[in-house]
Amino acid sequence: MMDDSAHSQHSRESQQTLNFTLNGEAMTLEVAPNAVLLDVLREQLHLGGTKKGCDHGQCGACTVHVDGQAMNSCLRLAVMCEGQHVTTVEGLAHDGELHPVQQSFLECDAYQCGYCTSGQMMSASALLADGRIGRDDASVKEAMSGNICRCGAYKNILEAIQQARLAYDATAERGTAGRQEGAA
Amino acid sequence: MNDMTQSAFANPRVIGQRTPRVDGEYKLTGKAGYTGELHAENMLYGYPVPATIAHGELESLDLDEALAMPGVVEIFHHRNFPKLHRSPNSMGHGDQVSEVRLPFEDERIYYHGQYIALVVAETFEQARAAAYRVGARYRHAEGAVPSLLDSDAEGTLIDSAGSSRGDPESAFSGAEVQVDATYHIAAESHLQMEMHATLAEWRENGARLVVHESTQGVFYQRNAMARIFDLAQENLEVISHYIGSGFGNKLFMWPHAVATAGAARELGRPVKVVLPRQQDMTGGGNRPASRQRIRLGADREGRLSSVIHDSMTETSLVDQYIDACGSATPSFYACDNLSTSQRILPVNHGTPCPMRAPGEVSGIFALETAMDELAVELGMDPVELRLKNYAEQDPASGLPWSSKHLDECMKRAAKRFGWDQRDPGIGAMRDGDEIIGYGMATCTWFAGRQPCEARVELRADGTLFVACGTQDIGTGTYTIVAQTVAELTGVPLAQIEVKLGETSLPAGPLSGGSMATATTLPAVAAAARDALAALKEVATGSGGAFEGGEADSLSVADGAFNDGQRTVSFADVLETSRLASVNGQGSAAPGDEQNQYSFRSFGAHFVEVRYDPGISRVRVARVVSTMDIGRAINPPTARNQVEGGIVMGIGMGLFEKLDYDPRDARLVNGNVADYIVPVHADAPEIDVEMLDYPDFKFNEFGARGVGEIGLTGIAPAISNALYHATGKRHRDLPITIEALLAGQ
Repeated sequence: MMDDSAHSQHSRESQQTLNFTLNGEAMTLEVAPNAVLLDVLREQLHLGGTKKGCDHGQCGACTVHVDGQAMNSCLRLAVMCEGQHVTTVEGLAHDGELHPVQQSFLECDAYQCGYCTSGQMMSASALLADGRIGRDDASVKEAMSGNICRCGAYKNILEAIQQARLAYDATAERGTAGRQEGAA
Repeated sequence: MNDMTQSAFANPRVIGQRTPRVDGEYKLTGKAGYTGELHAENMLYGYPVPATIAHGELESLDLDEALAMPGVVEIFHHRNFPKLHRSPNSMGHGDQVSEVRLPFEDERIYYHGQYIALVVAETFEQARAAAYRVGARYRHAEGAVPSLLDSDAEGTLIDSAGSSRGDPESAFSGAEVQVDATYHIAAESHLQMEMHATLAEWRENGARLVVHESTQGVFYQRNAMARIFDLAQENLEVISHYIGSGFGNKLFMWPHAVATAGAARELGRPVKVVLPRQQDMTGGGNRPASRQRIRLGADREGRLSSVIHDSMTETSLVDQYIDACGSATPSFYACDNLSTSQRILPVNHGTPCPMRAPGEVSGIFALETAMDELAVELGMDPVELRLKNYAEQDPASGLPWSSKHLDECMKRAAKRFGWDQRDPGIGAMRDGDEIIGYGMATCTWFAGRQPCEARVELRADGTLFVACGTQDIGTGTYTIVAQTVAELTGVPLAQIEVKLGETSLPAGPLSGGSMATATTLPAVAAAARDALAALKEVATGSGGAFEGGEADSLSVADGAFNDGQRTVSFADVLETSRLASVNGQGSAAPGDEQNQYSFRSFGAHFVEVRYDPGISRVRVARVVSTMDIGRAINPPTARNQVEGGIVMGIGMGLFEKLDYDPRDARLVNGNVADYIVPVHADAPEIDVEMLDYPDFKFNEFGARGVGEIGLTGIAPAISNALYHATGKRHRDLPITIEALLAGQ
């Protein structure tokens, strides 16, 4: 009776085996064939940092990195991640030290309720590592426009991204690989 | 409470200082647990099935296929859901709900998205898959009302929501200059990022209910659930540690929570329901559409002689919600003749509810656009017109304002904006292909306080524990509570643990109405002082660190006492007396000051729009605002609230509209892509200044609250700027590209 029949192939089928790398750790999971990555993260692995805001690829709250690319985890079946490297917000900080993007979000008060924040930071960290995206404010705003912040903290998020860029630049100048997760 | 200028917080060290959020690291690392990502042992997943019609009856349900699907445990509907009781729905008794009708009460369908069933299964995927396989047949009823905007019905007059002074009708008809205009605002969705979510768990063989809910009011939900499930309040706990914001639609409980807890009781297992976004938008609250007529009468010098503000807003068929558009109007301008009236019209929607600055933001759009129309009629600068009718005291109550600096707001913001560069000619300012429009409007929101209790523990490990049953919906309540106890005790922020969002804690207020700060902090301060007094007694008592000393002679600094000779930390004082901790209780409530002053916050917004007539594109390029909000406890989080309100105001002005099909009242754009809200690229250059005039008549902190005021006044400033750019008056929100194109 519901409008959308996208889920007609429900979970009569047996579970599927998924091998992938999550936040740097190789793992094997049994997942339902109709389970999306977002739900596997939140419900099966109890990694609640990746948020569900629309389940339709419209809000960006569920953004993760898949092989270094920012993607909506609500639009990927978990089984599509076979052999891939997935990074979530839980994988941003290392050894108890905040990632530069996390640190700048803290300092710039680049959030309010915090619910879109993981997605904002995952898009921001991918953007900062992507040389195709301009460094100016307008380019950053355009590139970030898939991540809705209903609290409207856009001004501070922009400031935080540009502040984190300084840390990225410093890392690049030192000629080190830095901590650009996801592409590991 | 008469005069709090002798405030302990007159020269604070932590209050008023930039303080990173104490809960920030949890939010930034994914460790903050929002309701939808919590789990309980043996938990089941619920997925509601929504009605696909808006008006009629459920004729039959076909559950066979869904029940046979893997993992499905039960499907609840009107024939098998337990018969529960309704909540008395009393604000005064703290059991108000958003929709009084219980889920699955009967076969009647009142709105699209109303729950007709709840599928419960072992996994989320199984529940969702089966929900899509529930079959339903309906009997459609004639006469669905899709929207107030499509209706010419008169609605019902609500006497209690109107006001009158003088003789406004005569004054209007005799006025030298008149404005008579009608304004429409579309229904809006809160679209808070985290959908409504409930995790309900019955313990002790069904004697005790623990509910995790994303709510702005744990106590209201506890009390309402106690009535509905016929439980003693003491046997019910509601918990909400992190909330993906609410903007008003999480103030009071919705039917999904009742459905979830009912299912959990019947099945004897915990059940979690996270509303899909589409259902959140149909049955999780909305700002109702409004129609407002404003009549202004004035003399040639611009002095108002009459203000008449008549409003009508939507409610639902199952409840009565009043979005009082005219509630700020009587206090706005000095004018002896004024009336407001309010009507409501039932439509086939889920019940509307408060949405950020409810009523007033809609009313201020109409009033402040009408004032711009009057300024144009008079050939007068809009700022000058407002100063000419400046209310030096509250014309509604006759009481003096506790603290009002709106004139300063207008002047300072105008200066930063460059208002004196404005050429008042229509379309007179251009930059390349774009026509530049300057517009302004003022804004206001009432300042209120509620009763509140709090508790503070000073502990022998050097930490401080502070608890209050209010919530942090993203405004920064955790942090300002920590700042308050840090200020009074000198214990560093890193050693302070703040606990909010549980009904097991001392009773705290709703996170709403911009009242949480002014309500919570006085109670927290009282509890901190009580704890310090208790510890001083210990210190000077038998065997104490300052045995034989006078409690009054001990000064407090940096988490320690000093008697003029020795400094001993709180931890050592406790250790000396073999105590693990001391406890302080505090409570606070509004007092007699409410009879002596009128309390409001004020502000002025100046907006630059840029309109490209070639492609009929309008964008807000710049917003300059000055706010008079009393003291900001934590300036960056307070400013963030105002900036966020401004962004939401751009949505209200240009984008946001819940679109209901005029044929059958179904919601057409129930998703985050078709219901348009501002994104990064829409965010303008924003310059917010906050005046620092602590309002010690209101409370010893001087804070009035800041959550809502930023939103008010933005939409009229945009429409006024667009008039300046194009010469076309937009009286309906949102101002869509179709409206811009019309009549070109």
